[in-house]
Amino acid sequence: MAVFDTPQEAFRILRPVCVQLTKVQTTENVECLQAQLQTVSDSALQELQEYILFPLRFTLKTPGPKRERLVQSVVQCITSILSTTCVKKQDLLQELFSELCLCLSSPSGLQSPAPLSEELKLTVIQALQVLMHSAYGDIILTLYQPSTLPHLGFAVSLLLALAEQEKAKQIKLAALKCLQVLILQCDCQEHHRLLDTVETRQCGNLFASFLPGISTALSRVITGDIKQGHRVTVSAIRLFYQTVCLVMADEQLATITQDEEKPSVEQRVSELVVHRGPDWVKSTADKLSLLIHKIVEFTSLHPHWKVRMEFVELVHQFMLKCSQSLVESVGHLLKALVGLVNDESSEVQSKCHEILRSIAELRTVVENRALADILSENLLSLATALPRLMNSQDDQGKFSTLSLLLGSLKLLGPKVNIVLNSAAHLQRLSKALIQVLELDVADVKTVRERLWDSEDSLGEPSGSLQHGKGQKKYFRFFFDEQIFLLIQQICRVLGYYGNLYLLVDHFMGLYNESVVYRKQAAMVLNELITGAAGLGVDVLHKRETAVSTEDLKGTITSILEEYTDQANWYLTTSIDTEGTSDELTVKHSRVRAIPRGAHSSSLISSSSPSSDPSPTIRSMNSNIWQICIQLEGVGCFAYVLGKEFHLLLASVLYPVLEKAGDSSLLISQTATGTMVDICHACGYDSVQNLINANSDYLVNGISLNLRRVAHQPHASRVLEAMLRHSDASLLPLVEDVIRDVLSALDQFYDDRASSFLGVLSTLVAALVQWFIVGKGKEHPQEQNLEQQSSTSSQKQGEGSVIIPMVQEMEQFFLDYIKQSQIAEGNLPAMEEEEEEVQAPPAEPEMNDSGAEGETPLPAHAQIAKDVMERCIHLLSDKSLRVRLKVLDVLEFCVIVLHLHENHLLPMAHCVWPALVTRLINDDPLAVLRAFKVLCTLAEKCGDFLKRRFSKDILPKLAGSLVAQAPVSARAGPVYSHTLAFKLQLAVLQGLGLLCEKLDLGESDLNKVADACLIYLSAKQPVKLQEAARSVFLHLMCVDPDATWLFLNEICCPLPYEPPHPSLQPVKLGGMGRQRTEFTDNVLSLLGELQRQETATFQAGLQEAPEPQPPSLTEALG
Amino acid sequence: MALPPPDPQFVLRGTSAEVHTLHFYCGGQEPDYPILFSGSSNGLIHVWNLKTRRVDTILDGHGGKSVYWVEAINGRDRLLSQGSNQQICLWDLAEGRNTVTDSVFTENVGFCKSSLLKVAQGHWLMAMPGKDLDEPDFGSCPFLLAGYEDGSVILWNLSGGKILSRLGCHQEPVMSLDFDSEKKKGVSGSSEEVLTVWSLDEQQNLKVQKTHKLVNAGIADVAIRQDKKILATAGWDHRIRIFGWKKLKPLAILNYHTATVHCVSFSDHSRPSERLLAAGSKDHRISIWSIYNQTSGALHCSLETRKPD
Repeated sequence: MAVFDTPQEAFRILRPVCVQLTKVQTTENVECLQAQLQTVSDSALQELQEYILFPLRFTLKTPGPKRERLVQSVVQCITSILSTTCVKKQDLLQELFSELCLCLSSPSGLQSPAPLSEELKLTVIQALQVLMHSAYGDIILTLYQPSTLPHLGFAVSLLLALAEQEKAKQIKLAALKCLQVLILQCDCQEHHRLLDTVETRQCGNLFASFLPGISTALSRVITGDIKQGHRVTVSAIRLFYQTVCLVMADEQLATITQDEEKPSVEQRVSELVVHRGPDWVKSTADKLSLLIHKIVEFTSLHPHWKVRMEFVELVHQFMLKCSQSLVESVGHLLKALVGLVNDESSEVQSKCHEILRSIAELRTVVENRALADILSENLLSLATALPRLMNSQDDQGKFSTLSLLLGSLKLLGPKVNIVLNSAAHLQRLSKALIQVLELDVADVKTVRERLWDSEDSLGEPSGSLQHGKGQKKYFRFFFDEQIFLLIQQICRVLGYYGNLYLLVDHFMGLYNESVVYRKQAAMVLNELITGAAGLGVDVLHKRETAVSTEDLKGTITSILEEYTDQANWYLTTSIDTEGTSDELTVKHSRVRAIPRGAHSSSLISSSSPSSDPSPTIRSMNSNIWQICIQLEGVGCFAYVLGKEFHLLLASVLYPVLEKAGDSSLLISQTATGTMVDICHACGYDSVQNLINANSDYLVNGISLNLRRVAHQPHASRVLEAMLRHSDASLLPLVEDVIRDVLSALDQFYDDRASSFLGVLSTLVAALVQWFIVGKGKEHPQEQNLEQQSSTSSQKQGEGSVIIPMVQEMEQFFLDYIKQSQIAEGNLPAMEEEEEEVQAPPAEPEMNDSGAEGETPLPAHAQIAKDVMERCIHLLSDKSLRVRLKVLDVLEFCVIVLHLHENHLLPMAHCVWPALVTRLINDDPLAVLRAFKVLCTLAEKCGDFLKRRFSKDILPKLAGSLVAQAPVSARAGPVYSHTLAFKLQLAVLQGLGLLCEKLDLGESDLNKVADACLIYLSAKQPVKLQEAARSVFLHLMCVDPDATWLFLNEICCPLPYEPPHPSLQPVKLGGMGRQRTEFTDNVLSLLGELQRQETATFQAGLQEAPEPQPPSLTEALG
Repeated sequence: MALPPPDPQFVLRGTSAEVHTLHFYCGGQEPDYPILFSGSSNGLIHVWNLKTRRVDTILDGHGGKSVYWVEAINGRDRLLSQGSNQQICLWDLAEGRNTVTDSVFTENVGFCKSSLLKVAQGHWLMAMPGKDLDEPDFGSCPFLLAGYEDGSVILWNLSGGKILSRLGCHQEPVMSLDFDSEKKKGVSGSSEEVLTVWSLDEQQNLKVQKTHKLVNAGIADVAIRQDKKILATAGWDHRIRIFGWKKLKPLAILNYHTATVHCVSFSDHSRPSERLLAAGSKDHRISIWSIYNQTSGALHCSLETRKPD
């Protein structure tokens, strides 16, 4: 299609069509014109704009009813013209504007839109929009003169009516969009002329007249049916804030003076013009605040996130532009905004954050007293309502309530001190926090006892442990962890902005006021300090002056003093405190304030009457939690102070370690966590390092506390924890204090023995761990090897398979003599050698007080010896528990001392009588344990005990074994669970080794064999048979030949032919016997014996063909 | 007195030898921490930081022979120490140095301590024991009080080198003495079970004012607190005794050490509440006590003294 560039050509083409249209106004003609317009270039069209518009406008203006179809096509045509041209004359603009508006209005009432078809309405609205866009330059402003106010008003009301009343979404949207264009806030891509200040003010003045109408109508649209779709609501919201911001902008209002000259317009119009004076602003703001309130209520909970997003923008704009004029609504708006911070949509969330931050940066709140007042009022009403809301709301509701509180605090920033400086307000806020944080202490699990086995993991550096991961707490009023985090943030923000001294003082007051508040107050204090240090706190604007480290340190020191005060640190946490903390507890109940009726009922119901002499589970739980929270506090403080915490270690480490050894699982875990925190803060890479590096502080604490009777258990617990967590390098440091412990034990043998025994057993166990298992790892093995080789060299292979020759027999006798010589002459020499090997490497710190021994003992051995001395006395303690424990300790002592024989043997001599008593007449449990000790002792002391054993113990043991045998032979399966069985088993299992170690004489061995023989009976329980077999296996090692003979007396499987005719035939007791109850076991033993001997024999053969079959010796001997 | 005697505030360990002498230095400004010098029988001088309660420096200058007198001069930068190797050493401790800059040989082989008097800024007068002296102490400027092994205390006029007064107050050697120049009276302890208080009248005569009979014999050291309110004695019976200085009223017996207490010393901290008493003993420990210096309500005090802003 040809394009006509010049106006002349275009005119030629368009003229006939226009004339035709003027004459006959039909849809066809209009369409014809429109078709022709396509062929005309934009520039030509611009020239001919008015000419072409004339017939169209004429068509619209002709009086009388018109067909909608025609009007629509005409308007469409106008739209297409306007969209490519611009209107340069203001008359034309105004006329077109009013003509188009008229199209919409009904002829009857001007204010309401005509009942036209939806298509037409849409077309006209679009045409209006296009018209506004096509206005050239300043021309558009001519529409915004006071004189055109009626026209404008007419258009606004029409569009509002459409937006509000139409059903079609499209029309609504178009109307809103058009309105937006009309208030010069179009956000389309086209270039718009920016208004200068004066012009903006003029427009503001003008639209002030429409504000009531627009805002009311829009608020109706916004709060209308949700089914209208979110886009309508979104654009209505946008229009709302744009309008309000245009009219109520603080910037403009500030420049408006009282006596601004009235625009010179006719009377009727001037009535419409509004003067935006202070009074007007005030009343408008009041009305607007109602609307805003409604909108806030509706949109902040709108299901569609885009609506909420737009609402956030609304708040932003209002805060940005109208925070002074709309001051009364600001509270509402901020509240809603803060509430939306935790919106489910992440976009809304981040936008909220961003806006909050920008608001804070604007410092509107900080500098605006009125706003601060509103916020603090909000805060207070919230604080007042908080306990009630916590009771009634669900977790979601609580969450939003608390985030509201947090938001207000954050916005208030440093201004929060206004609230805090009022005693009543502070009281209200703190009580609210304390009530919310009330713990649920009914859980029985809290009092769970720690298992000592699980303790080993503590020594490992658990560097992965994160700070702030305290024990999971259970609260009365909520379950959600998120809520706790919110409260945590609230406290931290308070600490960040608030006056730290004031806050700490206040909460310390609450802490001391009543036991009911204590836990919560401590929790709050911990967080306050964290916040004050600016750690883990998320704030909107930085405070001006940070709290100095010195001040923090001072505050923390005083809080710690309070925490670790006797009355707050030593609480009853378990029933089984062995009566030691009784006197303490009684004291505490007096120290602690008993809650009075003044507190709210919920608190009373949960409070434990502290005057109650017997601690209930609940009060113990409460105490446990209190200690845990305080411990967590210590961790927090360490985190806050970092390296500076070093100085406080002197006073804090001891109490923490004390709790690490607590019998309650929860406390000991928390304390361990605290220690890890301290490690992190002070730059130690493990708990062990921490303890080692600060052992002087700990030792100081221990030795001081040992002096006080009531604290002795604690002190010994700390020492225990120290020993558990440390290594051998600790010993020189604690040596001093171990003496203190021993002397304290000497003073209180009767009543405190059991509490000290704990530490003693840990001590000797640690000594074994450090000095015997660790250092002496090689020695026992060497020893064993030597022993094995020595025993095996004594053993002779049984060579019944090989027929010995005369030569060999001769050789055998020679060897026999030689070996017996070796056995007599060379053995002591060998022992000496062994001694040398076993002598430990010279210890750097020798004990000066080694007067008793010829050679000074190394420190650890000296300690073990001292402990052992105490054990002798305690072995006859009244309490079985103590006796059992002592036996354990004794065993360890023996192990530690075994390298120092000349000290061990005298000690063994001293211990012996007491030990014998335990073995002979005591509770079976003690006998069992004592027997174990005996085995260890025998192993270490060797034949030193031989005579004593065979004299004092063996007869009894053998006797009891024999006596018990018929019982076990007859017993049923249940028997294996009885103590008697265990005792039998233990004795049988140990006896063999005892015989071997003590190197018992022949008669004793016979006694043992006799006693054990009964247990080889098939009637005995299998386990006892096994154990009895093991005894015989040991006997084989000691004296294989005697054993062989003994067994063969019972049962002899083989006939023995003399190897030489000159020898007498062999006759053995067991030969040719019938199969008996013993046969099976004896045979298996003999088989084992033979196998061993063969093995030794063959091994010997490879070295030198010396050994001879031993059976022969027996036969010959 | 219903209250039980207090425990030590803390105990310093690690000298690994008997502690023979103690000297506080608290004069430093706030960032400076109070320190305590201790001299022990293995010839080492330990410089304790009382804030961390740990040894800052160890000075070794007496060849393993026991040190029985230390005193700081010129702030904490200079230290005088006397050891049984018959040397008095002057240490330079400034800027972390620890060198002996000067030393004096003494003829005395006993246990007598020297004494120091500040005459003017930068001038000190030191009395060091000769062959037979036992325990010297300065009174007011030109006078010197000395305790002797024969149990007598003698007042010397230094300018003339004359004996002004002689008081035989003990049967046994005088172990220690201290003098209060305000009230013009002094106290001396000996190896017998008597503590003697004597006074100096206008005619410069020494007179026994009062004696206090002890249960166990042997006072190794006496010290009057700087505020002249209390007196501490170090007993051979392992105990530290506290007396009111005015009437020699027994106030407390501090029981901690497990061996003879060799020395006691009061700190001169500018804040009375932080004034401490230290005692060194044969059991290798130094106990630090906080007594009679009104410490109560620490938390509230510290909070109230700061102005809220």
